[in-house]
Amino acid sequence: MQNFINSLPTEDRLPLELSKLYEQFGYQKYCMSKFEEYGFYSDNRDFLSTDGIIAFNNSAGKLMALKPDITLSIVKNARTLPFANARYYYNENVYRISEDTHDCKEIKQCGIELLGNVDSHATAEIVLLALKSLDKIDSNFSLIISHIAFVSSALEDAGIIGERRRKILGFIKRKNRHDLVRFCEENKVDKAITERLIKISSISGNLNEVLPTLKELVTSDKTAAAYDELSALCDALCQMDLYKNLKFDLSVLNHLDYYNGILLQGYVKNSPSPVLSGGRYDSLAKKIRGDGGAFGFAVYLDGLNLHYPNKSKFDCDAIIIYDQSDAKLLTAVNDMCKSGQKVRVERKMPDGVKAKKVFKYENGNLTEVAE
Amino acid sequence: MITIALPKGRLGDKVYNLFASIGYDCSEIYDDNRKLVFENKENGVRYLLVKPSDVAVYVYHGAADIGIAGKDILDECGLSLYELLDLKLGKCSMCVAAPNEYREDPSRPIRVATKFPNIAKKHYMSFNREIEIIKLNGSIEIAPLVGLSDVIVDIVETGTTLKENNLRVFEKFLPISARLIANRSSYTFKKDEIDSLCDSLQKVLEEK
Repeated sequence: MQNFINSLPTEDRLPLELSKLYEQFGYQKYCMSKFEEYGFYSDNRDFLSTDGIIAFNNSAGKLMALKPDITLSIVKNARTLPFANARYYYNENVYRISEDTHDCKEIKQCGIELLGNVDSHATAEIVLLALKSLDKIDSNFSLIISHIAFVSSALEDAGIIGERRRKILGFIKRKNRHDLVRFCEENKVDKAITERLIKISSISGNLNEVLPTLKELVTSDKTAAAYDELSALCDALCQMDLYKNLKFDLSVLNHLDYYNGILLQGYVKNSPSPVLSGGRYDSLAKKIRGDGGAFGFAVYLDGLNLHYPNKSKFDCDAIIIYDQSDAKLLTAVNDMCKSGQKVRVERKMPDGVKAKKVFKYENGNLTEVAE
Repeated sequence: MITIALPKGRLGDKVYNLFASIGYDCSEIYDDNRKLVFENKENGVRYLLVKPSDVAVYVYHGAADIGIAGKDILDECGLSLYELLDLKLGKCSMCVAAPNEYREDPSRPIRVATKFPNIAKKHYMSFNREIEIIKLNGSIEIAPLVGLSDVIVDIVETGTTLKENNLRVFEKFLPISARLIANRSSYTFKKDEIDSLCDSLQKVLEEK
């Protein structure tokens, strides 16, 4: 079975392997309804990407949306038991209208969401699952961890708000130190604060290596809480094999309206764009469910077949060519399939199909022939 | 191996010399031929010579790890890239220019001719001024002279072309220069090499 799974294209193999991984950690499968009420997604547009929602009227005239977002659906519909966190995983396609091309697009995603009390163990569990998920794609991967609350609070402590905050966050996100310095000079930002901002934009490395620098950047209770959270995470994960792939970089700042704490972004060697994205989104949980605590991530499967093509040179293990079939042919094919082979039966050798072995079926016998 | 997207033309030549001076030379690049990819395996570098406006696209899609692009191109395309160094080459400014006698009519949207619609929109949006964009691909200066637009938003280096067409700069709003950009994924996997390359370039630039 594992051989068969390994032979599948990456985008087909991963959902199976990730489902198994998430189930092992106690996550339940979440199946999203294909159509949900548009109003809910429209009310929570802040939390969606800038892409459009595909909407239509159902037979009762109600405006419906075609699977625009899984996280919102889970946050709305998840059932929690007393004293227990809701742990869900999903393997779903979502549909959006591209902001750039205005075309409808299908996005394949797998991921997990944990709702409830996101304590230090739950945080470490999700980061570990993100590491393991990336490892399933390519052992040469990096999971970048950042902390939005650390950056936001550092700016708040420095009295940087509004348009200046937006601009400075943009510079930090692009590691654009030169324009950051220029902007701070033009806006008469205190030199010590500018130095702190430069450190924030350039801080990068293994979590244990950057923690001392982060400690120097603590300026308030909020930044101290973020530091403690990262420090606890480092303690929980530093003994794990995959810890070497965990990097810290505060320039990872996505969806500032959506996330509010630890943020995750995963890269694999062959893909130029992130294949995993996620983070803490307590404000969404609070808005919809009335209580906080939510953390999750999604693995984006689209494009993985391009960057990780199936390396097999063959379409099947065997092709059987026959002139006249009889009852024994199917038995012979069935026996080969039972032994784990992929077998194709044809009257003539099909063009463009490559098989490891080619057999001729004649008078109840299989004879291997040169292709 | 690090792959660098260089803009074809004068800026690309200058930038190549900078890279060569810090150990990323590839003498084949001087050969008189039409090749667009040059590689020096010993130095672990490969150069792609591409249209200046395409450098960011090559880097964003990971065909090149790093590249050199003007700030105008970067702000216009808005791709998510790291912008690691200001090379201070190709300096100019993004400006609003118009005929010498132009006076803004506040009762209607301003018609803006430009090659940079996103930059122009963002600029006018910053003070909530309604505009109508006329996207052109070149010879922007003609637009206000023939009544196609009220103003132009374009890069201005010396201002000579504007002067010769009876236009003048009304507002300079974005300083432009060549920037070293990096693909976010490449930076993650080749951080040490890219950081050390940036440090070396920074030193060379400071010595100049």
